[in-house]
Amino acid sequence: MKKRNLWYWLFLAPTLIALAIVVILPLIYGVYYSFTNWNGIENPQFIGFENYINLFKDQEFLESLWFTVKFTVVSVFLINFFGLALALIVTQKMKTSNLLRTIFFMPNLIGGLILGFIWQFIFLKVFSGIGELLGIESLQGWLSTSTTGFWALAILMSWQMAGYIMVIYISYLESVPQELLEAAEIDGANSFQRFMHITFPLVAPAFTVSLFLTLSNSFKLYDQNLSLTGGGPFHSTQMVAMEIYKTAFTENAMAYAQSKAVIFFIIVAAISLTQVYVNKKREVEM
Amino acid sequence: MKMKKLFPAMLALLLLVSVGLVGCSSSDKSKGGSSSKGDVVVDIFQFKVEFKDQFKAVAKKYEDEHKGVKINITSVGGGEDYGAALKSKFASGNEPTIYNVGGPQDVKDWETKLADLSDTKAASVALDGTLDGVKKGNEVLGLPYNQEGYGFIYNTKVFEKAGINPKDITSFAKLQDAVKTLDNKKKELGLKGVFALPGKETWVTGLHLSNTFLSPEFNGNVIDTFNAKKVDFKYGDAFKNVLDLENKYSVQPTVSLDYSQQVEELFSTGKVAMIQQGNWVYSSIAGIDQDLADNGIGLLPIPVEGFKEDAIPVGVPMYWAVNKNKDKKEVEEAKKFLDWLYTSDAGKEAVINDFKFIPAYDGFDASKISDPLAKAVYQYAQDGKTIPWVFMGYPTGWGQEKLGVDIQKYLSGEISWDELVKDSKTAWESSRK
Repeated sequence: MKKRNLWYWLFLAPTLIALAIVVILPLIYGVYYSFTNWNGIENPQFIGFENYINLFKDQEFLESLWFTVKFTVVSVFLINFFGLALALIVTQKMKTSNLLRTIFFMPNLIGGLILGFIWQFIFLKVFSGIGELLGIESLQGWLSTSTTGFWALAILMSWQMAGYIMVIYISYLESVPQELLEAAEIDGANSFQRFMHITFPLVAPAFTVSLFLTLSNSFKLYDQNLSLTGGGPFHSTQMVAMEIYKTAFTENAMAYAQSKAVIFFIIVAAISLTQVYVNKKREVEM
Repeated sequence: MKMKKLFPAMLALLLLVSVGLVGCSSSDKSKGGSSSKGDVVVDIFQFKVEFKDQFKAVAKKYEDEHKGVKINITSVGGGEDYGAALKSKFASGNEPTIYNVGGPQDVKDWETKLADLSDTKAASVALDGTLDGVKKGNEVLGLPYNQEGYGFIYNTKVFEKAGINPKDITSFAKLQDAVKTLDNKKKELGLKGVFALPGKETWVTGLHLSNTFLSPEFNGNVIDTFNAKKVDFKYGDAFKNVLDLENKYSVQPTVSLDYSQQVEELFSTGKVAMIQQGNWVYSSIAGIDQDLADNGIGLLPIPVEGFKEDAIPVGVPMYWAVNKNKDKKEVEEAKKFLDWLYTSDAGKEAVINDFKFIPAYDGFDASKISDPLAKAVYQYAQDGKTIPWVFMGYPTGWGQEKLGVDIQKYLSGEISWDELVKDSKTAWESSRK
């Protein structure tokens, strides 16, 4: 960057101000509130680290954190697997590939709440209908046990996000130089070898982006969680975002919820940054 | 040349700054903006969405009769959402004049923002006991909306076909017999189950059902409940029996069954014979089958063995509260409006006919109550066969987040009944320390 004169800052000012007002100030306020006993109505009093000490003994919070971690691992894997698979399919030379791209991307255009309700219908009605017809007991009563609730969430999430991640993979797949692939083919590499040794390393930057997106999105999931299972049965599918909301608004413990949110923020930031750092290192330069 | 480039940039900046300034100035004005016309504006922020259109119409009528008063109504409905929305509303600085509180816990939380309503006419005609939950010394901090009651709502035609006389069901044993009869004739009656137990709705199990069995333990007094250091589950066995009965003969799986499935999908279409719900479901049922709602439903008691086996829980769902931080004129107008609503002829007319409320005040002509469930609730209240609501006195979150969730665990076989009782007792004690 050259000389940063007055104009530079003047043009940057609106963005900086907006950022400060909607992101940085609330964050600072939030951290402050997490050290108080604010219940959302009365004036807060400073109580030090009490909230933080309590939350590490809070069974429900820890359970929801563990559930979120499990969910994230599974859905990051599923979304990227299917995202890449779909991208590979639609980058083949097919007549329908544009249509398919549109179709695969479409779930992303539906809002999370509505999506949750749609899948609730599918899991409750369609699944049990098929189960009744074929006499398969295990298809009935999805969303009523913790295991099926977990998989229901994972299925919903990958169904929605795979198409989005697919778009990222497509852009990198299409930039893989054809000469390299041809050269490898002439050298006698089969299609699997070509994928593993040429395509895969070259789309590594896509992994950095996709993993970051899926990781942070799965961690922060709220609306699908709310509309699909509502945390039920017995809070067993309750993810962290929802647990924090409940602490804040149904238990009237705003400051306590805020301390959970701070911890949550630190965890998500730490994991995401580590992941980006590790992935960046593995990327190969063309 | 340089000026040419600079000009649009300057213009853009100017626009931005001016927008910012306008934003500031308008928010300054809004505090006193309305009074410039000489009107007193009463902002109402209330939770009952079911009657919001009727309520708006009544407010309009009031405005016409009382010049110089403007009433704004915002309705945000459905249990926990209202509490969250109310807090956000207050936090935004845009405080309403009239809002709702639910009972002792709310009164304690909002104490600094509640005006004393003991000098209102409405407070003096409120039915005995309805003000217990919102009294503080001599102060009355809320006025009841109405009364509501719940029990087992049954389908009269199904009962007739099965040869059961609902009038005979006055004890747990008789209820059990009736359920077994219905279950045996399930096929010919076209039922999917006798009950539809919505385990997903923790307010149905954790608040309403539990209230029936915990109320006698606390003498039916919400303040006693609020002050209780512990809960004993004195009628725990009776509680378990009713829950088990509902669960055993319900459409499965109960843990993921929700309110709309229970009321609209299963009961309103005649696929189940009985549901545990209150008089508020009348309009939901009427929306699907008007005839069933008007001529085909009745209300049965929830039997508490060892206490009353033929009574239904009746109570006040929410209270009107007035924000004392508003200026005096506004508080006065708010009180006048509430008085008008519950004590003037026009107001009373609207409360019964338009809102379809079961009044919680003296001086109403109860014969005008039209829907069968409200009538039944009123009849039970007349006969003294009621169990008061005390669940507003539970520790915050205990009913739904603790007991309701434990009931879900119990229903899916994760924990035993004894564990449920133990767990709930501990949670109660630890939050009342």
